[in-house]
Amino acid sequence: MSESYRVVEPQTGVRIGFGDVWQRRELLGMLFQRQIAARYRQMLLGVVWLALEPMAQLAMLTIVFGFLLRVDTGGYPYPLFAFSAMTGWWLFSKTLMSVAGSLQDNIGLISKVYFPRLILPLAATMKELFDGGVMVVILVGLSMLYGYLPTAKIVVLVPLFAYAALIGLGVGLWIATVMVRFRDVRPMMGLVLQAGMYATPIVYPATLVPERFAYAYQFNPMYWVVELSRWALMDKPVDIAPPFFWSLGFVCVTVYGGLMVFAKTEKIVVDVQ
Amino acid sequence: MSSNASPTVRVDAIGKRYLMPHAVHGTGTGGRIMAHLKEFLPFLSHQEDDYFWALRDVSFEVKPGEVMGILGRNGSGKSTLLKILSGVTAPTTGKAMLRGRVGSLLEVGTGFHPDLTGRENVFMSGVLLGIGKREIAAKLDEIIDFSGIEPFIDVPVKRYSSGMYVRLAYAVASMLHADVLILDEVMAVGDAAFREKSQRNIERLAGEGRTVLFVSHNARAVRNLCHTGIILDKGQCTFQGSAADAVITYLQKIHHYQPSQEELTATRWNLDDAPRLHDGGERVLTSVSLHAADGTPAREFHTGEPMRVRIGFHRCTLRQPYFAVLIHNEYAERVATINSSHFAPDLDAHGNGVAECLIEDLRLGEGSYYMMLDFGQYGGGRGLMTSADCVPNAATFDVSLGGYLGGIGLDAFQGAAHRARWSVVTSTSAAG
Repeated sequence: MSESYRVVEPQTGVRIGFGDVWQRRELLGMLFQRQIAARYRQMLLGVVWLALEPMAQLAMLTIVFGFLLRVDTGGYPYPLFAFSAMTGWWLFSKTLMSVAGSLQDNIGLISKVYFPRLILPLAATMKELFDGGVMVVILVGLSMLYGYLPTAKIVVLVPLFAYAALIGLGVGLWIATVMVRFRDVRPMMGLVLQAGMYATPIVYPATLVPERFAYAYQFNPMYWVVELSRWALMDKPVDIAPPFFWSLGFVCVTVYGGLMVFAKTEKIVVDVQ
Repeated sequence: MSSNASPTVRVDAIGKRYLMPHAVHGTGTGGRIMAHLKEFLPFLSHQEDDYFWALRDVSFEVKPGEVMGILGRNGSGKSTLLKILSGVTAPTTGKAMLRGRVGSLLEVGTGFHPDLTGRENVFMSGVLLGIGKREIAAKLDEIIDFSGIEPFIDVPVKRYSSGMYVRLAYAVASMLHADVLILDEVMAVGDAAFREKSQRNIERLAGEGRTVLFVSHNARAVRNLCHTGIILDKGQCTFQGSAADAVITYLQKIHHYQPSQEELTATRWNLDDAPRLHDGGERVLTSVSLHAADGTPAREFHTGEPMRVRIGFHRCTLRQPYFAVLIHNEYAERVATINSSHFAPDLDAHGNGVAECLIEDLRLGEGSYYMMLDFGQYGGGRGLMTSADCVPNAATFDVSLGGYLGGIGLDAFQGAAHRARWSVVTSTSAAG
């Protein structure tokens, strides 16, 4: 029987619906393209701006922490030390912000057309991955400038940054869910992310953290992203400790839970907007 | 469209409820805090009066090839119903079943991005509506042609005029070849020629056996395009039937045309308590009665025959008064304006009395009509008229075709049948 039925009824169960997303993958692609094209078209210097903002921030960090405070990086040049960590952090935090806002920013679409809502955070993540890719190119260029020629280890950056984006996606889905009802969350996010940045060894080395906190400190999944990207680029030694596996587990649970709560909330987002 | 075909859309007791705690606990700080808490923490709201039912117990069926119009005032639940059927939001109760591919167009230009060109937006919007990229590419020329904006197709849509924007957006939507098409107020866009084109498009779809659900405020569009209609009022379905009946019922409701049995046979109406167009003014008009040429009371007239309208008035103090008889058809469309200032500028009406308007030959087609009476002062400016008392629904009457048109059909929606003399000025022989 080739006839298809669509049944509309009160929502009960929760389904993540990857199958539906796959069926509408053309839409996912279009939304991704739309974000990229729209951004780079309205600003001729789109790519330049993309790089300029982190470079400016990097310059400031270098002046304050590298030049004035003379943070001990263990012999690595400070700009590269900071930038290799910043790249992953930026990917994570920007993905988190985009995913968190994906329902609200697209309420115009959501309230007028039906499509699997999960496409929105996924398109947002894809866009951040695209921007992240540009940053990685800059990062590799910078490391070559400082004499760290890429080795085979550089391949690790691909799964590593995908992991950073996945963390952003997972946490972002939770926040998107909360933000449907509590819009006040948005201004708080920047503050929390900034605190998170200082809780991760980005502008300073992890060795500065007092010994008794060092173990707990490593439960932060971004700690591992940061340390492993330094390892991949500059061969900075890293010990995989049990907290790494714990944090990996947390991330998996967060992402899965995020997908579930998102699937539940997407059904009411039109009604409570 | 066979009547025993199984329905493509079956809506079964659909209801939709929204949380609206503000409405209940509007007063006092405590109440307001509670209302906010309830909005954020829905489990606190279990009282029935915290909810608002936007739709309640709506059921209907639509058959293949049927175009169904949905009528209702703002806030009657039309948009909520379409949102539920298109899957944007879920119903609270009930169930609906739609057979085949469902396409919905709740807004013209959904997904358009101002920075993208017309061509890019065609793809964006099309894919969003569920049309495949390949299908869009194949129909791109047709879409551009339909929109009529070919020279601008590679220009960002932010530089379009609003008319161009809307035409392009609608052109994309018209390619939506779904088995069930859900349209919300989309006929209101574009100029007359474009609207005509869109109407043809809907007719074609219905002809191909597709089902169309259609919301519009344009009664004429619903009457012309739809086969059946339903009326929603405060979330409930109050009427189901043919589109023509639905439109008339709806318009009678919104214009308060609900003649009682008594009024349907009346020939004289007392206007002392009749609703006025503008409240608060002096009530000068007291009564109206309709008469045949010889002065006998009547309410049935023939096209091309005379009609006497007698208008009672009192306490008239205006220097240059005018009376006007305004005739509307059942769609509340004006079909005639008969103003005393056109023919009798110096009508002498002071104090109390009766004014008579003799319409020498009534040029209306067959149907029921509503008469509006207006009274006021004219002059003071060039052709300036100031209404003093206006009764929107003063009288009703019926017209049937007399000998005037030789019995050839003309209905209330076709305008006036002007008296004319016909002759052939030049003609050549067909054989020549």
